[in-house]
Amino acid sequence: MTRSKAPPGSFFDLAAGGAGAVDAPAAASETAAVPPCNPSVDALREQFPDGVLRNEVCAGDQDVVYVDSARLVEMLGWLHESPGQQYDHLADVTAVDHGGGRPIEVVYQLWSIPHRAALRVKCELPLDSLEIDTVTGIWVGANWLEREVYDLFGVHFTGHPDLRRILMPDNYAEGHPLRKDFPLRGRFSRAEQTRRALTQDPEDYYMPGEIGGRVPQLVAEDAGGDAEEADDVD
Amino acid sequence: MSTRTVEFEVARNPEMGPGGTLVASPTEPFDAPEPELGADTMLVNVGPQHPATHGVLRLVVELDGETVVRVDPRLGYLHSSFEKLGEYRTWNQVVPLTDRMDYLAPLIYNCAYVMAVEKLMGIEVTDRCRVARVVCMEMDRIFSHLLWLGTWSIDVGAFTPFLYAFQQREKVYKLHEALTGARITTSATRIGGMMADLPEGWTDGVREFANNLPATLDEIDGLLKHNAIHIGRTQGIGAISADEAVNCGLTGANLRASGVPYDVRKDRPYYDYESYDFEVPIGCHGDCYDRYLVRMEEMRQSTRILHQALDRLPAGPMDVEDPRISLPSKTDCMSDMESMIHHFKLITEGIPAPAEDCWFSVEGSKGELGMYVVGDGGPKPVRWRIRPPSFVNLSAIPRLSEGHLMADLIMINASLDIVLGEIDR
Amino acid sequence: MGVDTPGMLGSGSPAFLTTRLDFVVNWARRNSLWPMPFGTACCAIEMMASAASNFDLARFGMERMSFSPRQADVLICAGRVPYKLAPVLRRIWDQMMQPKWCISMGACASSGGVFDVYSMVQGIDTIVPVDVYIPGCPPRPEGLIYGLMMVQEKIRGESLANHADLRAEDPLAAGRPRADDREVTDLTGPFGNSTHQNRVSGLVATDAVGRSEDRLP
Repeated sequence: MTRSKAPPGSFFDLAAGGAGAVDAPAAASETAAVPPCNPSVDALREQFPDGVLRNEVCAGDQDVVYVDSARLVEMLGWLHESPGQQYDHLADVTAVDHGGGRPIEVVYQLWSIPHRAALRVKCELPLDSLEIDTVTGIWVGANWLEREVYDLFGVHFTGHPDLRRILMPDNYAEGHPLRKDFPLRGRFSRAEQTRRALTQDPEDYYMPGEIGGRVPQLVAEDAGGDAEEADDVD
Repeated sequence: MSTRTVEFEVARNPEMGPGGTLVASPTEPFDAPEPELGADTMLVNVGPQHPATHGVLRLVVELDGETVVRVDPRLGYLHSSFEKLGEYRTWNQVVPLTDRMDYLAPLIYNCAYVMAVEKLMGIEVTDRCRVARVVCMEMDRIFSHLLWLGTWSIDVGAFTPFLYAFQQREKVYKLHEALTGARITTSATRIGGMMADLPEGWTDGVREFANNLPATLDEIDGLLKHNAIHIGRTQGIGAISADEAVNCGLTGANLRASGVPYDVRKDRPYYDYESYDFEVPIGCHGDCYDRYLVRMEEMRQSTRILHQALDRLPAGPMDVEDPRISLPSKTDCMSDMESMIHHFKLITEGIPAPAEDCWFSVEGSKGELGMYVVGDGGPKPVRWRIRPPSFVNLSAIPRLSEGHLMADLIMINASLDIVLGEIDR
Repeated sequence: MGVDTPGMLGSGSPAFLTTRLDFVVNWARRNSLWPMPFGTACCAIEMMASAASNFDLARFGMERMSFSPRQADVLICAGRVPYKLAPVLRRIWDQMMQPKWCISMGACASSGGVFDVYSMVQGIDTIVPVDVYIPGCPPRPEGLIYGLMMVQEKIRGESLANHADLRAEDPLAAGRPRADDREVTDLTGPFGNSTHQNRVSGLVATDAVGRSEDRLP
């Protein structure tokens, strides 16, 4: 039964090294240059020859395009507007931290409802300049997704209308939790965390001046957290 | 593609334009020039512990009289850091986390996660497993919609449909329990298969459930569909046009109520969904009432899929017959040296995944449920990301509720069908 | 509270009177417990299931879910409680009137469960005093009903004579954690499987909080 087995030449054969080893050269060349499944990749490269850094095919049939972060908004805007592309559904914005000082990837999952095509666009941001332009001007739905990436990874989205923490408390001082250098249980002791939690006022950020806007002391606290984190990175 | 629109023969409010244009809600305060009472707006805090926010959502609402000027949702009151925790576990150990994320449709989450990992690893599951997972997912779509129906009717002021819906839910609880031993936290899937084969007589139970459900739905429809209070509180409330809904990232029933026929099961079929005969209901006004109709119809369509899937459920093995992926049987472990070694290696080392990433999305009960998994060649994920459908759906609530009454905000929130465990993760 | 503080009826009240009165008061309290459902996650769904017709919590006089803490007698904390929610939980507990009881429903509320992570309270007993813990992930509705019956059992043993002792409440404690730093450290130290996962992961070295002594039973 072929279906019930991992296909030949798959990762398992490579990892095992045994019977599938003959397929290894073919599979290894896969990472080098595989023609993309999605014609949008070539179209994008044609339109922005210097914006597309490289592309690859992941998990069999998924196209990934690495783009220059400076031209990201322009390129995504083209993918959204251009009649041949029409990537009108931004499924997801997220980030990946591979750890070990490697750059943080910001990942955009696009889907075109009219053309039924998927495309994954990635931007690599070095750890010392985690800034990228916002795409909320193209997709309104990116608003909260970008806020979440900011909250959990510390990536700043330039031009975002409302870049606040979304999941963690506004005055969270321990850093950005999904970074690889962030310990699973947080930086503070449990006792400290409990004490800090109960000093929050449940009615905070509830007054007219505070709703929807940035509160001055909140920024200061946040900056303190970042500084502490920078120390830990070193 | 087959026809996708389901006609709803319900008389609409004649004031309402097609295409989801925003119209005056029936209870809108009079337009006559009001005496100047000062331009101050009022802030009202709803939640985080409030029965109508369906969890621990907090909405800070700015009101002008009774009219909503601005809504600022505050999240994170249930942030349990699933994604961080997943990075510390092997691929199979993540499965129990997935059903604690959306406790309304746990099996869909179990299936979606392992489907993403299987795609990353290049594993093809057996035919029996594919159909069994379809049964599980459709059953839980109904399971989740039934809870939505119950809480929705409580929000609209009707308690009886809640009891009716929970009676049906109890049947699914029993089926869950027979399949996995747990009522909610199922953890039923494993990479390359399921935790166990379907128990004997289980399919009969599912079939009985699918047979009985439409009668209950009709009963609830009879209470709500033409009910003047229900119509008055939902028609024309929270309307959003198709273009705007797509731009906001809405998915699932919320998007389809606006008339966009985007359903992952049809547009990017997985597990042979293209071979099942079912229709995707779409609405045309994009308001709360259409979302209600769409979800009710979705449950009926899911029962159709259930029947077809049960009919075609093939015999054969449930798990992939690859000792590097599936655990050997207990008997083999005890009698066969090689199986024992495989068992030992699987438990202690886990299954390695290639250093690639993979995005896989299914049609969850709340919308497009995406799983994004990144491997590094080791047995643990580098990153496990969930595209939470209700998180993105909820982000449209400031836009949806603007200009409506405070009471309408509750209905809009209910119509989005959110689950906080998944929003905050 | 001191030992010499008299009960509600004064120190010299005849014993037979208090016993009969105790019985009446406890009977009334026991059979009309109004729960304050503090439901957050999966356990809240099971709590809803126990209120629905199959399990029918109303049989025990608890059908009146009181969403206002001031009209509630027993706080059912069902589900995970992150640190962001902790002040809300404490606020609700402080708002409830005496006499009041607290049920911690499920593994996450009782001990943090599988979520031994940066954002989660490791057991709500660090925040509020808990009367009954219900194990399970999530507990079945029968479990919740049994837990509520244990609260009833606890009420049965109460007496107006030691009312002041049982109901002692320090107004200064409002809005503060129930446990002090040392107790929090003791209660939340990683143990068992959670420590194991950290060592194996190899992703980062997380400094496990050392227990000053073993967990007391």
